[in-house]
Amino acid sequence: MNKKRKIGIGFKITSGYIILILCLVVSAVVLNNQITSLQQERNAIIKYDSSMRVMSNNLERKIVNLESSLHRYLITNNEKYLDKYNDEVATWEANYEELNNLVNNYSTGENQLAPIYNSINNWVNNIGQPLLNAIIREDSDQINTLFNGELSSVAISEVQQNFTAFRTTETENIQQHVSLLNDRNADLTYGLFAILSLIAIITIVIFTMISRNIAGSIDEVTEAIEDMNKTDGKNRKRIVAKTNDEVRDLVDATNMLLATMENRQWFQRNLAEIVTAYQGVHSLDELGEVLLNSLTTRTQSVYGAFYIQDVRNTNQFNKIAAFAETGDDVGRQSFMVGQGFVGQSVKEKRVLSYENKENSFHYLETALGNIPISNGIIVPVFFGNDVIAVLELASLKKYNEHHRALIKEVVVHLGVTINSIIGRMEVIRLLNESQAMTEELQVQSEELQTQSEELKMQTEELTTINERLEERTRDAETKTHALEKAQIELKESAEQLRQSSNYKSEFLANMSHELRTPLNSILILSEMLAENHDNRLSDDDLEYAKVIHDSGEDLLNLINDILDLSKVEAGKMDLWFREMDVYEIPQHVHNLFSPIAKQKDLDLNVDVAQNMVEIFHTDVKRFHQILNNLLSNALKFTEQGSVNVKVELAQVTPTMKQISDTWLSISVTDTGIGIPKDKQQLVFESFQQADGATVRKYGGTGLGLSICREVVKLLGGWITLRSTEGEGSTFTVCLPSLPDGNISTLISEQEVAFTDASPALPVPVTPPKTIFDEKHILIVDDDYRNIYALRQALEQKGVHVLEATNGLECLNILQTATRVDAVLMDIMMPEMDGYETMQRIRYDLQLTELPIIALTAKAMKQDRDRAFEVGASDYISKPLNLDQLFSVLTVWLTSRERLKNG
Amino acid sequence: MDKKKLEVSLLLEALYSLSGFDFRQYNQQSILRRIEHRMRINNIPTISRLTESIIYNEELLNMLLNDFSINVTEMFRDPSFFRALRENIIPQLQKLEKIRIWHAGCATGEEVYSMAILLQEEGLLDRTVMYATDMNESVLKKAQQGAFPLQKMQAYTKNYILSGGTEGFSQYYKTDNSYASFHPYLRENIMFAQHNLVTDQSFQEFDVIICRNVLIYFSPELQHDVHRLFYDSLAHNGFLGLGDKETLQFTPLAPKYRTISASERIYQKKL
Repeated sequence: MNKKRKIGIGFKITSGYIILILCLVVSAVVLNNQITSLQQERNAIIKYDSSMRVMSNNLERKIVNLESSLHRYLITNNEKYLDKYNDEVATWEANYEELNNLVNNYSTGENQLAPIYNSINNWVNNIGQPLLNAIIREDSDQINTLFNGELSSVAISEVQQNFTAFRTTETENIQQHVSLLNDRNADLTYGLFAILSLIAIITIVIFTMISRNIAGSIDEVTEAIEDMNKTDGKNRKRIVAKTNDEVRDLVDATNMLLATMENRQWFQRNLAEIVTAYQGVHSLDELGEVLLNSLTTRTQSVYGAFYIQDVRNTNQFNKIAAFAETGDDVGRQSFMVGQGFVGQSVKEKRVLSYENKENSFHYLETALGNIPISNGIIVPVFFGNDVIAVLELASLKKYNEHHRALIKEVVVHLGVTINSIIGRMEVIRLLNESQAMTEELQVQSEELQTQSEELKMQTEELTTINERLEERTRDAETKTHALEKAQIELKESAEQLRQSSNYKSEFLANMSHELRTPLNSILILSEMLAENHDNRLSDDDLEYAKVIHDSGEDLLNLINDILDLSKVEAGKMDLWFREMDVYEIPQHVHNLFSPIAKQKDLDLNVDVAQNMVEIFHTDVKRFHQILNNLLSNALKFTEQGSVNVKVELAQVTPTMKQISDTWLSISVTDTGIGIPKDKQQLVFESFQQADGATVRKYGGTGLGLSICREVVKLLGGWITLRSTEGEGSTFTVCLPSLPDGNISTLISEQEVAFTDASPALPVPVTPPKTIFDEKHILIVDDDYRNIYALRQALEQKGVHVLEATNGLECLNILQTATRVDAVLMDIMMPEMDGYETMQRIRYDLQLTELPIIALTAKAMKQDRDRAFEVGASDYISKPLNLDQLFSVLTVWLTSRERLKNG
Repeated sequence: MDKKKLEVSLLLEALYSLSGFDFRQYNQQSILRRIEHRMRINNIPTISRLTESIIYNEELLNMLLNDFSINVTEMFRDPSFFRALRENIIPQLQKLEKIRIWHAGCATGEEVYSMAILLQEEGLLDRTVMYATDMNESVLKKAQQGAFPLQKMQAYTKNYILSGGTEGFSQYYKTDNSYASFHPYLRENIMFAQHNLVTDQSFQEFDVIICRNVLIYFSPELQHDVHRLFYDSLAHNGFLGLGDKETLQFTPLAPKYRTISASERIYQKKL
């Protein structure tokens, strides 16, 4: 910076003030002089004016006194007046000279006193002196002439006139002079204002210059300082000082501050960037990479290498990252403490830098050739007091202070970072290990659970098997006892049976005889009556006779049916197996049923399948009985449409093959009223039709299908029904061909099957042994109608039903009953409600495993939740749905398998 | 041990070639235990012998495949998980017009039906489409039937009650002698399909993905792949439900989810 001779701001301001004061002083002096001279002049004029008047008046009066003294002397002749006159003649000239001097001193112009002098002198010489002389000589003439004549007074008045003229002239002169002075005074006032204005302008100019000079520079400085905060510290403009004073110092200082700030910001920004860059780093390799990349670019290094202390051998440092602008790998892989320059740095624990201008240690390969690198810095990284890593950088240029500071500062933070990364890596490694172990454990536990579940299932199965075995053993024992007892009873009852069978047969034989005999009479007689041989009967009578005959025949059929049924049930049906020609079936059907079909306008079709066996062995009479029964039913219940008979070979299953190779399937399909699903089982029961209305409408005994079923069973087959209400029914009979009539191996248990619309396999009519068999269920409800309904439903399934109408009864039963498999628990009951009852069952009776199914009204969610709280196993809502009830009971009666949460 | 590893890897290669099922990245210890289990049962002395056997014996191959796909599942397994679903997830699903749920690794379908019941009770079943997938076709068939052994139903009922079920559990099934069959309307909106988490890709975007107790059998790498698959298959703000022994923690995708329930392993994909 140019340190010329400098003029300070203080100096500038002082000079300004001094100039100002000088101006003021000069102008004050000048003005004062002016004013003083004016004053003097004015004083002179005033003095002159008064002196002149006094003197001229004195002179004038003296002249007058001369005359009067002369007069008085003349009159009185007193010497005193003569002396006075002489005295005055002697002095007037001196007075005149005095006045003349005054006037001459004052004015430069023409002396106006000369005429006065002349006139006085004239009077003195021409009048006074002769007169005096005359008086002394007493020359009266002369005295008269001179005295009484006009001569003296003319001369005196001339003197007086001259005086007046003189004074007038002088007064005019003085007036003139005064007005001149006034003009000068005015000029002086203007001059004063002019000087003041000039000083004001000079002041303004000086101070404007100074302030502009100072304030302008300070503004620039302020702006620059404010900019420091705004700009990001790059390319900040410098302030140029225009003056050479303290402001220049300020500007220089500010510029230095700017430079320092920029350096510091560069330093901090880079430091922050580098530190931020390796904050998210998880591995040392990555750290080295990041560190070298960021440091080399910022310090314009061309080579860099980063070494970390070996984990096992603390004397060895291994390279984990290297940087070379050429992209090559540089630096040795590892070094020992004390080995070489870098090893020395570690050993001495200090920063080493080298400058080798002459003999470059390394050449940088570029496209242009090899460029020597001559500057390097080796910085050890500390953690605590130990060197844990070393950083080496090399550059083509010398590292400046900032670069060194940055490198050192980065390295200060680096130690902690490296340590924490090593720690973190260790944590991650341990975490991964433990995670792997945890996962392994989890898998094993899951598998163990699987295996334990498998084991549990096996145990459960074993327990079940065991239980069954025990039960069987018990059963066997009981049965042995019962058997012994039964044997005795059997003997007795066999005897009784034989007797009663005999009685029954006898009774039936008797009955048939006894019933038929009178019936025959009725039939024959009514028929005869109806023939009306003598024509004696009226039409009504004939009608009655016909009704009697028809009723009798119905009765006879009924009796025959009853006999048949009782014979079958008593095992007394005689069967005669013989050959039957299958192709005769259509003929048989048409012969018997075409008339009725025609009468009801129904189509009757009989279809015998092709490839049919011709000969079929069965009891032909019974076969026809079955067929007739089914066909008459079909025709009876069909109002319109058709009745189809289909004869074909049945599919033979292995079980069926044990009985016969050939099975016949005869199905009778009608388009009649059909049978509702819930009634399908009933139609095979004795004396049952779909409902009472049907009986009234179609008549019939309702025995036909029961007989069919029994007869089919006797013939070794079964009958199935498929029907949809309103659309029609299909009865299918399956019969085996039995040439030798051996029916001992028949599947006697095969019974009529019911299926709904779906074509499923025949399911045995008697329900299989279900989960409900022999189960004991306790119903707790205060409403006997509910109990009744539940009892009905459950007993149908084979359940033993116990009942209680309140909680107390329930508890009593549970304590005394030998066996209760499940409880159906109503909530609202007198005495003790369902909640309390359940609680007592669980806590007082300790029946924690007993299934209790709570019955609550559907809308009451809180009831349901409370039921679960007090220990209900499950719940169903009222009104009850039987399917749901059975489902729930099935679940809770099934021996359970516990899950891990169970 | 190294030889054993070789044997196992050869067996798994053979299995992959024969069946297309890729167990090569499964948890080796678990796989080894399953193999040894099968060897004990069938009295096969070495793993190599087993490899040979499965090449020529398809029945054994299928048995081994069944052994590998561990199908432990229950209805409302971990009731607290379903309670958390009901309390935390359902209210958010209520806002959706159409809900898509994926049960990955559904096994025999117990959880799918549980979910269907839950949705039915929350009034969401009609607007939900559920995809139930498993790599094992035979368990899928079972799942499709929706019939579960009677012996387990008591425990399921308890689970159902604990999970916060609002109805009587029995109204959802009908029993026969050995099974409780769930009502067909529950499965009207369920699509059962074969899908292999190891080899197959994402096939839709879902609002909820449930994959419980499947990932624990996978190696960490495979788990990451599957997590990526789930992440890609989830809609924004979609939910991921894992098994009680599985967690998103420590996986690279963890920051992309927020935890809805740490204890029940329910996570939500961040926007």
